[in-house]
Amino acid sequence: MTAVSVSRRSTPQPGSTHQRRSTLQRCRGRAGILLSAPAAVFVVLLLGIPILQAVYFSMTQWDGITSTWLGPSAYVAEFSDPTFWRVLLNNGALLLSVPVAMAIPLGIAAILHEHPFGWRFFRTIYFLPTAISWVVIGMVAARLFAQHGGVNDLLAAIGLGAIRTDFLAGEWTALFAVAVTFVWSMIGTNTIIFLTGMSTLDVSLHEAARMDGAGPWRIFVDITVPQLARFIQFSFIMTMISAFTALFSLIFVMTGGGPGYGTTTLEFFVYQSAFSQGEFGTGALLGVVLFIIMGAIGLAQLRVLRSDDQS
Amino acid sequence: MTAVAAPAPTAAVARRRFQPRPLRVGLFLVMAAGSAAMLYPFLFMIDTSFRSEAQYLDGSGHSLSSWGKLFAALPIGQQLANSTLVCASALAIILALSSTAGYAFAKLRYRGGILVFLGIVSAMLIPMQSIIIPAYVNLSGLGLLDSYWGAVLIYAALGTPFATFLMTAFYRGLPDELVEAAIVDGLGYATIYRRIALPLSTPAIATVAVLQFIQIWDDLLVGLLFLQNPDERTITVGLGVLSAGRVTDIPVLMAGSLLSAIPAVIVYLALQRYLVSGLTAGIGK
Repeated sequence: MTAVSVSRRSTPQPGSTHQRRSTLQRCRGRAGILLSAPAAVFVVLLLGIPILQAVYFSMTQWDGITSTWLGPSAYVAEFSDPTFWRVLLNNGALLLSVPVAMAIPLGIAAILHEHPFGWRFFRTIYFLPTAISWVVIGMVAARLFAQHGGVNDLLAAIGLGAIRTDFLAGEWTALFAVAVTFVWSMIGTNTIIFLTGMSTLDVSLHEAARMDGAGPWRIFVDITVPQLARFIQFSFIMTMISAFTALFSLIFVMTGGGPGYGTTTLEFFVYQSAFSQGEFGTGALLGVVLFIIMGAIGLAQLRVLRSDDQS
Repeated sequence: MTAVAAPAPTAAVARRRFQPRPLRVGLFLVMAAGSAAMLYPFLFMIDTSFRSEAQYLDGSGHSLSSWGKLFAALPIGQQLANSTLVCASALAIILALSSTAGYAFAKLRYRGGILVFLGIVSAMLIPMQSIIIPAYVNLSGLGLLDSYWGAVLIYAALGTPFATFLMTAFYRGLPDELVEAAIVDGLGYATIYRRIALPLSTPAIATVAVLQFIQIWDDLLVGLLFLQNPDERTITVGLGVLSAGRVTDIPVLMAGSLLSAIPAVIVYLALQRYLVSGLTAGIGK
């Protein structure tokens, strides 16, 4: 830090400079390999090799003790199992909540960005779910959606007491309860993303639109939202990834995957197959399917980022 | 690093001047109502934890009995210590690996380095559930399921790819001249890392630490499978097991939930801006 002022190319003969640079470069390369090797080896050993093992395990029938090779037919068998499709349908239904899990935080961020009285305090409160574990959230949500829980009391208060029900007792109502809880939990992360995005907005465009007589709604839809496109895409991907891979603890605590397979998603099914039913091969297969879905989402993200670079 | 800049105060004042009074009151009321929905679960936890089961079902009266029952049902102190130990060990590994690798990828660009970087970063796409079965088999073969090590290694592995991405992005923001000048001064690359790059990277380290701390503290699945010994369970796992074990005493569960949430909330309140910059670090410039 002290020597920034020292000129970095002293001036001996050109030949020796060249030589010194190349030994320096070799030295730098060696240091680079040495310093990045531990991380690379660690990731390969604990993530890279296991994902390949998962592909191998997925083609076996294996109860933890004896294993039989099935080959790709394991996939054919799984794909003809109606339970598999039921589980995937649950995942699909949960995805319907993704737009809601984005729209609410977008609204909150838009209001916070206007700096109403107490906005710093509100900001801290709206970001809070980010710090809370799914276990805790699920624990509370399970009480709130019960027969005599807060949600039913709220429905009764607005005159909908007739539909009072134990949400977690029905397959679709339980999935609905999980989806609502998921939306609540995503408020923190998505509000953070949108608010950060809004702080990068070009204020002059808004002023110009206001001078032209555009109302707040028009400004929001026609100017703010298009300018936030990159942040909306990012939030979309984060929300999708969470919907597929972050809900294990929530489901474990809230419903245990039930009633029936009512709230069993793919990630929960991995755990159930392997560690409750002892079918390690099936569990590995489901994990591979989940990985492929995540890979597809990741590629989509890559394309989004690349198209940004060009624009 | 994405700056979480609160807009300049003058801009805020100027903007506020254009808002008619009823609108400002309306926005405040909407925010306040929304906050109630955000805070309700916490109020519910606090209120319920200070009731006995009978008082909870009645809806009247408060007592400390559920807290007493909680401490009898779970080795709370031990589990809080376990959580801290597991978080700290995994974090130490993540930070050591990601800051050295980030420095190497950003400042010691070597042939093929970009491929190694992409390989590590693309491991971010591997969901925990996809590797959990092979990892379980491998680590149980090594006899690591009866100690903290199995869980620590898995947490560290899952955290390293994103941390490496973040550290590399941070070091790329430092000028190359810094390293070159130090070389001219006769320092080696390892010394430059230790004496210059690492101290400068404290904001990035804080970001990684906050994000990973919350993630690991709050996790259930890895702890559930890789901490087989009940004495080594983290608080979150202890709580998850308690609820799955059909403890139907709701106030006890609420007391436990509250207690397990407090450390993560404190870290969040103290280091909010690092959490924010970590969550938005994935958005390209």
